[in-house]
Amino acid sequence: MSALLHIQNVSKTFDLPGGQALTAVDDVSFAVEKGSICVLLGPSGSGKSTLLRMIAGLETQSSGAVLLNDTPIEGPGRERGMVFQAYSSFDWLSVGKNVEFGMKINGVPKPERRARAERFIGLVGLSKFIDAYPSRLSGGMRQRVAIARTLANAPDVLLMDEPFGALDAETRWQMQELMIEVAEASGTTMIIVTHDIEEAIFLADKIVFLSSHPGRLKEEILPTFKPGRLRNKEDVIALPGYAEMERKIMRMMREEGHK
Amino acid sequence: MSTASKGRKARLLQVRVPVSGRQALISALGVWIAFFGIWILASGLGWVNPILVPPPGKVFATIVRLFAEQGFGADVLISIGRVLIAFALASLVAVPLGVAMGAFPAINAVFAPFVSAWRYLPAPSFIPILLMWFGTGETPKLALLFLGVIFFLVTLIADHTREIRKELIETALTLGANRRVTVFQVMLPAVLPNILVAMRQMLAVVWTYLVIAEIVASTTGIGAMMMRARRFLKTDEILAGIIVIGALGMACDMAFALLHRRLFPYLEDKR
Ligand SMILES: Nc1ncnc2c1ncn2[C@@H]1O[C@H](COP(=O)(O)OP(=O)(O)OP(=O)(O)O)[C@@H](O)[C@H]1O
Ligand SMILES: [Mg+2]
Repeated sequence: MSALLHIQNVSKTFDLPGGQALTAVDDVSFAVEKGSICVLLGPSGSGKSTLLRMIAGLETQSSGAVLLNDTPIEGPGRERGMVFQAYSSFDWLSVGKNVEFGMKINGVPKPERRARAERFIGLVGLSKFIDAYPSRLSGGMRQRVAIARTLANAPDVLLMDEPFGALDAETRWQMQELMIEVAEASGTTMIIVTHDIEEAIFLADKIVFLSSHPGRLKEEILPTFKPGRLRNKEDVIALPGYAEMERKIMRMMREEGHK
Repeated sequence: MSTASKGRKARLLQVRVPVSGRQALISALGVWIAFFGIWILASGLGWVNPILVPPPGKVFATIVRLFAEQGFGADVLISIGRVLIAFALASLVAVPLGVAMGAFPAINAVFAPFVSAWRYLPAPSFIPILLMWFGTGETPKLALLFLGVIFFLVTLIADHTREIRKELIETALTLGANRRVTVFQVMLPAVLPNILVAMRQMLAVVWTYLVIAEIVASTTGIGAMMMRARRFLKTDEILAGIIVIGALGMACDMAFALLHRRLFPYLEDKR
């Protein structure tokens, strides 16, 4: 097996109060290649977050396995860093110390820590704010801190659950373009959850489309019309093949919505 | 906001529109001036019995005399000492226990039923038994103050710890934090500002129990002085005691507010 991450027949059933059970994720299998960007797409309730949380080890699957480098994962760990949609900065630490946090608890020596933090803070364009407290930053800037903090910790996979969902439209596409830049610069493997079709097509090397109730893998979509990764969103939208893929995915979304 | 509200007709009562520093000062002074004005008038014009309600001037003169001639300073120091010792002991137990209860459901399952039962028992109901167990020294007083706040303090701190946002804890875990790092380097700093707020609230309660303890079972301290004064109808001394307790309480509160600002400068911008 060559891929970095294998999701193998993973299911998750939640026990609801009152003795009922809800299957959020049903027998999902796919693989994520090293260095690629995989987007989990699907309508609300299709189990995207649940699946991502199982990959992170924050939730245990009811059956199946998640393999990282062919080893089953057990619980959360630094090799699977996660960025949440909600605000997650450590308020009591400066931007620089926030980004150093992961490295510090993992025993990276101070000079190296500082240098890496500076590098990733620079990558997300926040060098001027390295000594500021997060409470002084805007929502988009805080999300960049969270991304830099996770990347600086050198995870094998970066997991992101609707990381730009709370941002305004302009900041959102700036962040999307930033992610392409970061992926190119760091080579980090990424799994990104979204229900924004444009975002999915722009970012993805592979789209895993999940259907809702229960969350099953409906189709793996490869946006092969893209000649590799493009840094400008409008260039992707202008490509022949973009409109067709968007239309196809919209139709899938609509079908799921009508179920 | 300022230009918009200047354009509009200025209104006195506006929902959640902050007042200027000047208006705040005038309002605060105004209500105190009114309070003392009525007091001066009432005693000056003979509306009230001067034995029961001495004029403010006399009360303040009494405060000065108590400190200068009657060794009241020693009583005040004793009272402050009791408050600080009891409160420090209570905090020493409540902070670790509350955080542990908030962080670990297994620990909460042990202590929560116990703590919430005790919370509904009024601490003064223990005074007779405390006196029998510990005699008349400092121990029963400290025990009363301790019992008066410990259960509330534990509950408040545990609640605040439980309210720490899940994302902070899960971020730490996916950065590779173990249990110790999660508790001490994420949960504790996250909850610390709220712990200080809870302590500030509970310190006010300790002062309440202090006076009860000193009135019921003490020959020293501010409360005891007030009870002695009652025997000789020295209402000016009783009122002086009340004012001193009020001033000390306010000083404590301001000290906590200052400490909060010093310790947590990163919260400044949020408000
Ligand atoms: N902790 C939980 N307990 C019970 N049910 C849950 C829990 N978490 C998720 N679910 C259920 O599992 C299903 C999938 O939820 P999930 O949050 O994974 O969907 P999603 O695809 O991320 O949706 P959205 O796009 O709205 O974020 C939903 O029906 C949800 O109610
Ligand atoms: Mg979700």
